[in-house]
Amino acid sequence: MVRGVLLLSLHQATEAAVPVTIGIFVDKAVATGDVRPLIWCVVMLFALFAVLSNAWKLGARQVMRAIEWETHELRLEIARRVLDPRGQRTGLRSGELLSIATSDAEKTALVMRAVSIGAAASTALIVSSVSLLLVDVPLGIGVLIGVPLLVLGIQALSPLLTRRTSTQQEAVAQTTALATDLVGGLRTLRGIGAQHNAAARYRQSSQTTLRATLRAVSTAGLQDGVSTALSGLLLAAVAGVSGWFALNGRISIGELIAVVGLAQFIAEPVGTLGYASQVLATARASAGRVAAVLSSSPLVETGTAITVDPLQPLLALEAVSYKTLSNVDLTLRAGESVGVLCYDPRDADALLTVVGGRTSEHTGSVRVGGVPIDELDIDALRNTVLLEQHDTDLFEGTLRSNLLVESPSLERVMTAAGAADLIDELDRPLADRGQVLSGGQRQRLGLARALLAEPPLLVLHDPSTAVDAVTEELLAEGMAEVRSGLTTLVLTSSPALLGKMDRVIVLADGVVVTEGIHAELAESDATYQEAVLR
Amino acid sequence: MNLLPIAGPRATWALLWSEIRKLPGLSIIAAIVITGGSAAGLVAPWALGALVDDVSSAGADNSVIVKAVLLIGGAAVLAGLLTALGVMLVARVGETVLARIREKVLDRALQLPAPVLDKVRTGDLLSRVGDDVATVATALTDIGPTLLGAALTIILTAAGLFALDWRLGLAGLLAVPMYLLALRWYLPRSAPFYRQERIAMGERSEAIIASLRGSATVRAYRLEDVQLAKIDATSATARDLSIKVFKIFSFFSSRINHAEFTGLTAILVAGFFLVRGDLVTIGAVTAAALYFHRLFNPIGAVLMLFDEAQTAAAGLARLAGVLEMEQISSPPPGPGPADASIELVGIGHAYDGPLVVDGVSLRLEPGERVALVGASGAGKTTLAALAAGVLTPTAGVVRLGGVDVQALGEDRTRSQVALLSQEVHVFSGTLADDVRLARLDATDDEVAAALERVGALAWVRALPDGLATVVGEEGHQLTGAQSQQLAFARLVLADPPVAVLDEATAEAGSAGARELERASVAATEGRTTLIVAHRLTQAQQADRIVVLDQGRVVESGTHDGLLAAGGRYALLWRSWTGFKPGEPGGRTTPASAST
Repeated sequence: MVRGVLLLSLHQATEAAVPVTIGIFVDKAVATGDVRPLIWCVVMLFALFAVLSNAWKLGARQVMRAIEWETHELRLEIARRVLDPRGQRTGLRSGELLSIATSDAEKTALVMRAVSIGAAASTALIVSSVSLLLVDVPLGIGVLIGVPLLVLGIQALSPLLTRRTSTQQEAVAQTTALATDLVGGLRTLRGIGAQHNAAARYRQSSQTTLRATLRAVSTAGLQDGVSTALSGLLLAAVAGVSGWFALNGRISIGELIAVVGLAQFIAEPVGTLGYASQVLATARASAGRVAAVLSSSPLVETGTAITVDPLQPLLALEAVSYKTLSNVDLTLRAGESVGVLCYDPRDADALLTVVGGRTSEHTGSVRVGGVPIDELDIDALRNTVLLEQHDTDLFEGTLRSNLLVESPSLERVMTAAGAADLIDELDRPLADRGQVLSGGQRQRLGLARALLAEPPLLVLHDPSTAVDAVTEELLAEGMAEVRSGLTTLVLTSSPALLGKMDRVIVLADGVVVTEGIHAELAESDATYQEAVLR
Repeated sequence: MNLLPIAGPRATWALLWSEIRKLPGLSIIAAIVITGGSAAGLVAPWALGALVDDVSSAGADNSVIVKAVLLIGGAAVLAGLLTALGVMLVARVGETVLARIREKVLDRALQLPAPVLDKVRTGDLLSRVGDDVATVATALTDIGPTLLGAALTIILTAAGLFALDWRLGLAGLLAVPMYLLALRWYLPRSAPFYRQERIAMGERSEAIIASLRGSATVRAYRLEDVQLAKIDATSATARDLSIKVFKIFSFFSSRINHAEFTGLTAILVAGFFLVRGDLVTIGAVTAAALYFHRLFNPIGAVLMLFDEAQTAAAGLARLAGVLEMEQISSPPPGPGPADASIELVGIGHAYDGPLVVDGVSLRLEPGERVALVGASGAGKTTLAALAAGVLTPTAGVVRLGGVDVQALGEDRTRSQVALLSQEVHVFSGTLADDVRLARLDATDDEVAAALERVGALAWVRALPDGLATVVGEEGHQLTGAQSQQLAFARLVLADPPVAVLDEATAEAGSAGARELERASVAATEGRTTLIVAHRLTQAQQADRIVVLDQGRVVESGTHDGLLAAGGRYALLWRSWTGFKPGEPGGRTTPASAST
């Protein structure tokens, strides 16, 4: 990295030397007509370009490599933090986290770019200043004061431009998002004949974007124009003064050319310094977001106990209150299968969060195998309780790789999960997080995965909502068979599944209202009937 | 699945040109102003060359200095004015043209005929209206002005070189083949790596997003290490490709330096001999060298941006491709539907294969509610789409209010009949705007009334910002049942006389499903309704039930009538509710599924 910065600085120094060299060439060779200085000048120019070219090539590559590696490490660091088994408390959505792990990680590493181009530009400034001062001290000082003033003047417009550009970029992003959203819902639109309305809404958004873009471009154009005019005026002043000096013989023709050339060149490194400061600002903002993720605390505290007492109930909730739940008692003995029917889906969500050990904000006691859940080691907890959620997450790979376990009973378990039809497709590649599969296929695959994992306690949430009635019946039977002897907790309203449970607990308004056998509840309890009849 | 067409260069240019020609005055003025701005930039080096000559000639006085200062200063002010104005004018032309093209493309995408739509990849269509539009827009705004300015500067400066002296001009031209060779070396070498780099970055994002979206599952199944290894691997691949592609770029950049050296040295050496031969002045050589030196940046800019410009051009060709697609042909105006009836006569349909619907004839009287029942694959969804005029049958006629759907055309069909498909989409934006897509001029009260009618107003009011809550992908996440209720509210607002419902309610769970059935009945009240029954309770509420099997109508009648007849419907009902034969068929007596 340091070598890269030094090389880039050398490159900028040689860039500054080009106008000086042109001056010397004209002065010593062209003006004299001697062949010997001509040869020397060509050699000098050649050497200059050789250094210039190689310094950039090597320096930029080293800086680039350093940035890429740093970004990569940063990205992994973020991913590690976000995937922490104890959860993360960033409160960010996955889309935002993705942009932090990709775009912000990249921008944070740009600090190195800002530093390297800043250092290189400073070198160029120093070389130019020394050259100018060597030609003529007052002239040099004049240029050295004039150029930075000029660049600062031009950059006075920058904050406005930055603001308008970001407004414009937001507008473009919004219009783009609108377009993909509308096309994504095309069938829905077509069904009610709303395509014209959708097109009208897009046109409106597109025109808003157009106006924002034109505002941003007008500012950019103004900045271009001002910068062109001011740098031209400065050139006129420098040309005037140095021309007058040359006329009086105070400086040579070659020096005149070099001064004029340098006056033009010097705006570049000054502008680059301004740019480097912008990059630094962007990098700082991104670094802030990255740091917020990296320093966020885990969602739950976990303990160190690594064994549970096999004689204690696998799961015991005592007087648990959390969100909509109040004073819930629930005990699961080993080998028992229990169904939970929640009239309010929010109760189900709250119960799952508590049972999965994903909150520390509940009151009451939650014990797993007799050990309070927050005293259990995270891996011990996960080895004991497995929660397969309602929305099945699949990963890239094949159907087989998504089942996670290679087992001789694979086909048997898949059949039990009602996924016999997928056995022939096990090696089918799966892209796009399995979105190509139907909802029912995903659900049955998720169930097969959960059954194959053979956890002591399996918690399922509505595992059969996207499955037709015949398959649901098969799945309920298969599941009971595979899980026989193991403990299972199923949150569902499916009569097929509830009918296979040893007992059913009913939650209404956050409290346990009834408990019993499905068949009996279905006979006697009218509310229960209403909730499970399909 | 077909990819959408990509327009050839000629068609792409034709599209651009036709749009530019719609702004004739503005385009011509913009071209003149921006060229003038670049031309004014040529004055300074020329004036400096003249100054060098004047200063070195004997007997010059201060007037030559004044002349040079006035020339350079005046040209600077002029160039500044023209540049500012030119950039704005060119942007006005360019951005307006782009806005019109993107609006056209989206309009066309939204109007694609259903058979075409079913054959194209949604991902491709989405990337056309999304990524491609964004790529072209960003390129136009970010690199457009730089590229145009640089190109003009290069052309005008080359002309300036020749105007100074044709021999100096020729010497400068020596650099041109070297630039071209550098480009020819670089483009074919870098292109595959850029492609791989983009793919690798896509895979990296995919790995990260899969882990993030599935973080609950990752946690539950202890997959952190596996997922981290995947992210590590994809990110490392992307990193190595980026480094590799930059290495190629650094060699390219070196070659550009070689070209710069060649051109500059050629001018200076040629100048040396020309001055010695008294053919040109020292000032002219100085001006020529300064001209060439000031070309370094614009030429660099053009070459560096070449890649991006090519990407943008490719994006534009893909946009133009969408416009080449088939349009819905609108039939000549004729009489509209007389009433709200639907009549299917001898309908048959096949998707490149066996008949999915075979010889179905069915008439729905105005206001009648008919349910389609059948096992999966019986052709219910296809028949629904045919009845709604979304699909064109391969045999038979669909009449709406006595008029053939083919003669009605898309727009008039759609104002007569709506189809609610199984696909539920919540549009991003405020909830009110989502519902309002059905009728843009609906007031807040009308939107609220529509939501009230389908029983959604209570939970909508309870949302953080009520009707103004932002929903959709980036907004508040609605449940499946809530999304479906929004679809019903849209139907209420669109208010067609006929409705065809093919919505899935399974995801809602039992309690939600009943809620939705109520909403469905409320939304279709007073409309002729054909409903695909995914749950038999939906069939139970219909005036008439039509049972489909393998694309044919096998039974038709009321719920009680069909149960009494003991045919296929009775069989379905029993297996579905779990009733044993002989038990009374009321919904108040559920059976345990375990029996």
